[in-house]
Amino acid sequence: MIKIDIHKKIYGSHGEMDLDFNLEIKKGDFIALTGESGSGKTTLLRILAGLEDASGTIQVGDEVWLDKSKFISPQKRRIGFVFQDYALFPNMTVLDNLLYVQKNKKLANYLLEITELNELQHRLPTSLSGGQKQRVSLCRAMMNRPQLLLMDEPLSALDPNMRTKLQNEILTLHKEFGTTTIIVSHDPSEIYRLSTRVVVLHLGEIINDGTPKDVLLKTTGSQKFSFEGELLDIIKVDVIYIAIISIGQQLVEVVISHNEAKNLQVGQSVSVSTKAFSPIIHTLS
Amino acid sequence: MSNFIATVSQIDNCDSLHIIKFDFHGHTLSMMSLEIDKKIVIGTRVKLMIKPSHIAIAKDFIGEVSYSNQLNATILSIENGQLLSSIKLESFDTVLESIITCNSSQRMNLQVGDKVTAFIKANEVSIGEIIDD
Repeated sequence: MIKIDIHKKIYGSHGEMDLDFNLEIKKGDFIALTGESGSGKTTLLRILAGLEDASGTIQVGDEVWLDKSKFISPQKRRIGFVFQDYALFPNMTVLDNLLYVQKNKKLANYLLEITELNELQHRLPTSLSGGQKQRVSLCRAMMNRPQLLLMDEPLSALDPNMRTKLQNEILTLHKEFGTTTIIVSHDPSEIYRLSTRVVVLHLGEIINDGTPKDVLLKTTGSQKFSFEGELLDIIKVDVIYIAIISIGQQLVEVVISHNEAKNLQVGQSVSVSTKAFSPIIHTLS
Repeated sequence: MSNFIATVSQIDNCDSLHIIKFDFHGHTLSMMSLEIDKKIVIGTRVKLMIKPSHIAIAKDFIGEVSYSNQLNATILSIENGQLLSSIKLESFDTVLESIITCNSSQRMNLQVGDKVTAFIKANEVSIGEIIDD
């Protein structure tokens, strides 16, 4: 069990705010931390890692990492940290980047094997692709068999194929090492694939906490196929009306009746939904 | 998904709203649509698509009903779940699937081999693809 109860005044994109975070995490859980930028997600990870100070308590199993009288240094907390920008030592080979954390060649080789990096172990990070660098960074984070693995948008710079591949490797390592993991992510498919629990942060506070499906599935009543957009136009055709709505980067049309049209105004934010029974799925080649 | 191969026989429109009629083995099927692909003209062969949950079944039906599409069919198989039944129907050379509640299936005493009518609203029909011969 990991118990976190911390407070800190931080300066986000909305000015000064209180980060007020209280959460109990079961050992082995995979938590996705999400929320708009400036809501305190990265600060929270840094506090857990001991890279930033805060008031309150952090308890991991029987160890207290932070309380009124105690502050365990980052080196002594068994954590792994994976950053978006890899943060590898550029002057060390792949293998040396791993061994820097812990002189355990057997573990290093094992990790490089799982992530198919064996052949690259003597290369310098500059000669690697983004996906390869992030795998090295992931291996390095596992070198001290972390009790807590922290990842700050680790895959957001990678293309979709590489992202899926690394998601699988992250899951494998998470299970293999029985670690507890917290990932900051904005990508719903990533959150759904990886996490067992989603925590949504807004202006420093938890505003939602639940399973990925409960938190991510946008529903309007019993309608499970729901999107938000802007009503751009309503055109009368025959005895019906066609509402033109922009959703994401696309326009969609919805047929509505006179009564439905009466209650809508162009420019309004609207949700468009239908029951899960109606949509048809086509594969894209 | 149920697919029919049919041939466009008539196109009526009012601005962007269209009603397209198709010939399916001498039967007429109707589809309601907004703008349609310019390639679709009278004589075009298309694959029509209908979700199984949008196909209703009638047995010994007497009277008038507003469904534009009414196809005579024979029940090929019935798969009963806890709440829903998946019913396969054969109409000419085409197999349709209808998903209805088990309650309805039992109430109507549907049996394999029964002659029934499949009802489909014109707005539930869509064109899946144009078939180039």
